[in-house]
Amino acid sequence: MADLPEIERMIAAALPGAEVEVLDETGGGDHLRANVRAPQFAGLSRIEQHRLVKNAVQARFDDGSIHALSVSTEPSESSR
Amino acid sequence: MAANPELKQKVEEVLRENTVLLFMKGTPEMPRCGFSMRVVGVLEQLGVEYGAIDVLPILDPLREVTGEISDWRTFPQLYVGGELVGGCDIVEEMFESGELAGLVGAEQPEEAEAPGPQAPADPQQSPPLQVDT
Repeated sequence: MADLPEIERMIAAALPGAEVEVLDETGGGDHLRANVRAPQFAGLSRIEQHRLVKNAVQARFDDGSIHALSVSTEPSESSR
Repeated sequence: MAANPELKQKVEEVLRENTVLLFMKGTPEMPRCGFSMRVVGVLEQLGVEYGAIDVLPILDPLREVTGEISDWRTFPQLYVGGELVGGCDIVEEMFESGELAGLVGAEQPEEAEAPGPQAPADPQQSPPLQVDT
């Protein structure tokens, strides 16, 4: 069972300036969705963007409080 | 914790031998996780040949290996040409946009819609691979 506000803080701390929203997708507390807009994503591939988000909360995967995290990312300043 | 070097070597070997390789929970015939099932569904719709490895029997050691190889520690993971493409989200996004078909050299199905959480998988190919420990 994950602490959603804590997960949001962990992502925000890893990506200063990011807008982070973490949702409980199933109501079970361990299948989460993170919607993240961050300036750090500009110029990165999708997998690199997802990696930044997942690595920020790796500790909560390791201790079993998150089973799955779906990630949507978007650079906060469009580079196109 | 460092990855087991023998397991890492085996994984690298399997990656070299399989152009399209899926690390998943369960098997294509019997996925044990909804996200793995959705990636199987995408691959089946593309009609591409792929190898599949059930990560469940060796979950933790394998996490260490993929962490070292591609800095990614959750499953499913889809590799094409030895490079990590992504997990379920990225695979579904790239399938719908047609990028994935291009990447694996398959034809984009006319109605490319990711199977989503409820769709049952209908696997027809891909004998399971074994990575022994």
